[in-house]
Amino acid sequence: MRTKPERAHPVLERVAVVANDRVTEGVGLLRLRAPRIAATVHSGQFIHLRIAVGADFILRRPFAVHRRDGDVIEVLYRVAGRGTHDLETKRTGQEMDAIGPLGRGWEPGEVSSALLVAGGIGAAPLGMLAEDLAARGVAVSVALGAPSGERLVARGLFERVARRVGVVTEDGSEGETGLVTLLTARWLEQETFDVICACGPEGMARAVAEQARFARVPCLVSLERLMACGVGVCLSCVVSTTHGLKKACKHGPVFDAEEVVWDASESPQRA
Amino acid sequence: MPPSPRSVPEGMRPSTGAASVDMTVQLAGLTLRSPVMTASGTFASGHEYAEFVELERLGAIVTKGVSLEPWPGNDSPRIAETPSGMLNSIGLQNQGVEKFCEKQLARLGGVDVPVIVNVSGHSIAEYAAVVERLEQEPGVAGYEVNISCPNVDEGGMAFGVGCTPAAAVTRAVRDVTSRPLIVKLSPNVTDIAEIARAVEAEGADAVSLINTLLGMAIDPETRRPRLARVVGGLSGPAIRPVALRMVWQVAQAVALPVVGMGGIMTGEDAVEFMLAGAAAVAVGTANFVDPTSTRRVTDGLREYCVRHGVPRVRDLTGAMDQ
Repeated sequence: MRTKPERAHPVLERVAVVANDRVTEGVGLLRLRAPRIAATVHSGQFIHLRIAVGADFILRRPFAVHRRDGDVIEVLYRVAGRGTHDLETKRTGQEMDAIGPLGRGWEPGEVSSALLVAGGIGAAPLGMLAEDLAARGVAVSVALGAPSGERLVARGLFERVARRVGVVTEDGSEGETGLVTLLTARWLEQETFDVICACGPEGMARAVAEQARFARVPCLVSLERLMACGVGVCLSCVVSTTHGLKKACKHGPVFDAEEVVWDASESPQRA
Repeated sequence: MPPSPRSVPEGMRPSTGAASVDMTVQLAGLTLRSPVMTASGTFASGHEYAEFVELERLGAIVTKGVSLEPWPGNDSPRIAETPSGMLNSIGLQNQGVEKFCEKQLARLGGVDVPVIVNVSGHSIAEYAAVVERLEQEPGVAGYEVNISCPNVDEGGMAFGVGCTPAAAVTRAVRDVTSRPLIVKLSPNVTDIAEIARAVEAEGADAVSLINTLLGMAIDPETRRPRLARVVGGLSGPAIRPVALRMVWQVAQAVALPVVGMGGIMTGEDAVEFMLAGAAAVAVGTANFVDPTSTRRVTDGLREYCVRHGVPRVRDLTGAMDQ
């Protein structure tokens, strides 16, 4: 049911920081001037960013493209380890190099309604999708979850473009109290959607996938894996599927939820 | 021995334009147009990196390891970043030699670069069987026999940490091919020179070193190992001094050409390995960091030769001054 848009070859591009600001607790929004990547990126694809040269951490870090704005791409990142701590210190004008666009993004096909489910920083790959779908006239509903109100991510963007945004926090500081799956379960009982697109902690993605199966709604999930090369070589980022091991960097990061073998899936550890 | 630049009067140095450095090297009967090769498992079969570098400018492509039957590889997480390097325990995931010939080799058919196939096995018979199958493929320039992967339980490194099994694998492969045969050595041994001598005696044409160093990392927050298999192979600049020392030791111990590798990121790094005795070098983890690494290393090596008045890159091999 997934259509296949033309995927452009990835390029290695020198990108410049346009802005880098903290937007919520522990989450930064990086705006990068990246004309070549911006020209061909699809929603759900990612860039592989070389944050530091000459530091003692050498690997690139993969980041979903959150939005595209002309020749600027936006990246939402959670400050979690050496790389993202360093990324947080980047200032306007500083340059890095990025490989992109990489991977297979959201390919929901022709739909008239979509349910987007985001847990915490899982909102990152869903921003551009929400904008693209809304621009095509698709009725977009967004279920947004986080541990607390100050850790909700990209709420403003979703409220701007979606027909409806529901908020759930674990501590009840904003919206309903509990897990985001409370809300998705209710919405799926009340109405039908043509597709569900989910990204968040693997437990959330899996729970949403189960709800989608029960409701007989096609479901796509974006999965996160530790990654070295980003281009399909190193075999670090494998995902167990009904068709064997697949690479998150090349066959994903977006997968059809029906093909993911959840039991064997591992959540990434953060270095 | 090349002339040491400081010993040659300024006016007598050859005027070496970039194009005039002879970058060719001989390795195990092959003439490579550059000493810069790829390290197995860091370049797949080249296709993915063709977007970033010209494969034809490489000395050779050394493929990801191939076994007789498909291997699923290890559980995840399979990598962990460590200071100036990374641990991996991929576990030689591959589709088996049939699929390899059908897909990867076929794809490289039109590319003018020597393809050296890295061969793995659980048993001595499996190594020989993989090579026998590959003997039918005209696109294979030679073999690199992997007796040094630390990430599989049977086979792999078990063959590379003793002289007797290392010699037996080498002999078994030698008996089924007359193509260039490189044996990749493990650094996880007490005396690597002894292993090198053992494979030389059984007919290897060259040795490559080093494979990864066995290591591990623990997440203090969760108290869990960062790799699902607990231990894995360390690569990247962190291991370069160890690799260089071993290349130097092996180059003195055997008459065979040595392919040096271990954390090479720049042209200068490659120069170090050649001065220590390597006839050629391989770029590995650096490909993950910068997909243009092989080009950068090649250009850097050439620029070094220009800057130091070295007419032939092969003159660097073993030319360390002591």
